[in-house]
Amino acid sequence: MIVSHFHSLWQGLKDTLHIWQLESHIIFHDAGVLIFCLLVPLGYPLLYTVIYNTELMREVPITVVDQNHSALSREFIRKVDASQWVKVVSSAQSEADAQEAIREGRTFGYLLLPGDFSSRLAEGRQAYVGMYADMGGLLYYKGILLAATDASLEMNRDIKIRRAAKFTAEEDQIAAYPVKNEEVTLFNPTQGFASFLIPAVVILIIQQTLLLAIGMAGGTAEEKQEYGELIATSRRSRGTFHIILGRALAYLLIYAVTSAYMTCVVPHLFQLPQLGRGADLLLFLLPYVLACIFFAMTLSILMRHREMSIMVFVVTSVPLLFISGISWPASAIPPFLKGVSWLFPSTFGINGYVRINTMGATLSQVRSEWLGLWAQTIIYFLTAYLSCRVILHRSTRRAAALKG
Amino acid sequence: MRRPYDSLHSFLTVFRREWLRMCSRPIYFYCIIVAPLVCLLFFTSLMKEGLPSRLPVAVVDLDRSATSRNAIRTFASMQQVGAPLECSSFSEARDALQQGQVYGILLIPAHFAEDLQAFRQPKLSYYTSYTYLIPGSLLYSNMRKLTELISGAALRSQLRARGATEDQVLGYVQPIVIESHALFNPSLNYSIYLTNLLLPGVLMLLISIMTVYVVGSEVKENTARFWLERGNHSILLSLTAKLLPYTLVFFVIGMACDVYLYLILDYPCHCGMPAVLFLTLCMVLAAQGLGLLFFALVPTLRMALSLTCLWGVVSFSICGMSFPYAAMSAPIKALSHLFPLRYYYLVYVARLLDGHSFLTAWEGYLGLFAFMLLPLLFLLRLKRELIHTDYIP
Repeated sequence: MIVSHFHSLWQGLKDTLHIWQLESHIIFHDAGVLIFCLLVPLGYPLLYTVIYNTELMREVPITVVDQNHSALSREFIRKVDASQWVKVVSSAQSEADAQEAIREGRTFGYLLLPGDFSSRLAEGRQAYVGMYADMGGLLYYKGILLAATDASLEMNRDIKIRRAAKFTAEEDQIAAYPVKNEEVTLFNPTQGFASFLIPAVVILIIQQTLLLAIGMAGGTAEEKQEYGELIATSRRSRGTFHIILGRALAYLLIYAVTSAYMTCVVPHLFQLPQLGRGADLLLFLLPYVLACIFFAMTLSILMRHREMSIMVFVVTSVPLLFISGISWPASAIPPFLKGVSWLFPSTFGINGYVRINTMGATLSQVRSEWLGLWAQTIIYFLTAYLSCRVILHRSTRRAAALKG
Repeated sequence: MRRPYDSLHSFLTVFRREWLRMCSRPIYFYCIIVAPLVCLLFFTSLMKEGLPSRLPVAVVDLDRSATSRNAIRTFASMQQVGAPLECSSFSEARDALQQGQVYGILLIPAHFAEDLQAFRQPKLSYYTSYTYLIPGSLLYSNMRKLTELISGAALRSQLRARGATEDQVLGYVQPIVIESHALFNPSLNYSIYLTNLLLPGVLMLLISIMTVYVVGSEVKENTARFWLERGNHSILLSLTAKLLPYTLVFFVIGMACDVYLYLILDYPCHCGMPAVLFLTLCMVLAAQGLGLLFFALVPTLRMALSLTCLWGVVSFSICGMSFPYAAMSAPIKALSHLFPLRYYYLVYVARLLDGHSFLTAWEGYLGLFAFMLLPLLFLLRLKRELIHTDYIP
């Protein structure tokens, strides 16, 4: 009894390892699969980091339209220019000229100081400064607004101090500005685009390349109808179980290397934030990679030829990045789409990883994402099991039909 | 000798053959109809709100005075700020931030009201993480507004007590006012920057992939020679007749997207519908040109497909839509010229957003035309490959 139990365990282990060897052979002898399994995970993060690594644009070039030409308007412009956010590169006579500069791509916005700027201030009335930002890019607006607001706050303070003398002789300067504010940027002090986007992209790459590679391997097998060994294995006790384990093992080992490279080496190379603890990262990424593998295995049932995975999955990358809540806030995503987003491991993976890596969260602080990934691992394992049964059954029947 | 009638006849034969192929494969249906329409509905409904509102935020009130509660109420009433999560300590709020429950923390220090009364300049602190860039920036600008409001209110009551008029009060409280305007998109609607470019990007990706696939599958299925025979042995004629069905259907899909975005959802468009449709046609043709170019250069179906999709995915980052062109390093700037989406973006900004003339946007159009015409240089090479290559999986 115990001996036979031991024997079947031994057989199972042998089957698993055999399938692992078989699948690894397929992966390493198929240039198409290798591109997605190795080349993309190794090369893409570098490419993206090179594109985004200028970090957040400081010194956004802008124009000023000074219709006032007074000491005060010049002081304002000087203060704006001194800000780290913008750089006044030219002054224009009219708004039309300033817009022309934007169209030519020389500047991204302009400030308009109207003719009555200094006279209004002299009369103690409010003076208005117009701020116009090009909305072609998302990042200019905040920088120009910050520079203009900072300059206005600084000048307002001086003006108030001067005027305070009129209203309240004895009260001191502080009255000019009753509340101060302070912005503290936690975790991501560079406010950079690369440090914001790269961690999310890296996690998405893991899922997408697994979908592509496993789908391509599945499609190729379907085209060639090479299931002989798998069918033989599946006939043994718990055979399908061992097939799934063996194949998953092959991808897991490859992705152990590529994931470590993407989540540790790439941020290190480009000095991106890296606040996570190694153990937390490892424990979090394990269910993520497993969920992705089983998810991809489940969907490979749909792949009838080798190119199909490219045609089906590539186009999903952009929507998946948006639905994850990293660039578009999750609180603003309609409930239906949020439900859809939970079908994909990338949603939990991106949110959990980003918070561990960029915000220094611990594993217990990303518990809900972590449990979500384990739930997906279990569910997609079961569906991958069913999917594998269907594929092998289909193939057996086809072989029988061909013979008969 | 070839007569014109023969050419027309073979053109129609190839066209019909392709039309039937197109209608008979589910994967074509997915790439042509399902994926673009799902993306259209996805992007427009995802960003339906325009500017995200009610963003979750944590508040740490260490003062617990009427003034601080009032400040929190004012903060919570702002459109982009959601009902605040009240935390008793900063570490509790920080924990909520790390757990992903909130996007930022407003900290009101102890003795806030007292210090305000005594002119000791209390400080409101706003903690954010730009891990989530858009909500972080939005909450930050609301926080600044809050500080202005509280400062203003405190001064206002003082000055009123001294008998100042409302005009004098305003002129004192805030002598210089910044009025911010977003050029060409006054509602500050993020969907307008994103959807109009993400959607053509997705369409171009699909069109290029389909182009590579329909040409490459002739090699794979060993039907390339048969196809060229039907096309009167003319590569130009065979290709045109083969790709025309896709030009037509993708143009129809593209027009549907344009109508939905610019007529039904009323996204800004300052150049008139005909110009939009012309741009869409250029976009379809340029994407087909890119696919054809890649297959002519790398005449292996799988390699050409991989190349096309890797190219297409990068184009979202490199075209200047998500990350400004001006901020890119010189080699990346140079590289961006090899992506048709970059030219689409140029035309889109110049024509649709800014309403400039056709001639002003010449650079973008020129780029798109170049991608349409580039494959012509490689036609003979392509023909040779089609005739002599055998499919190796």
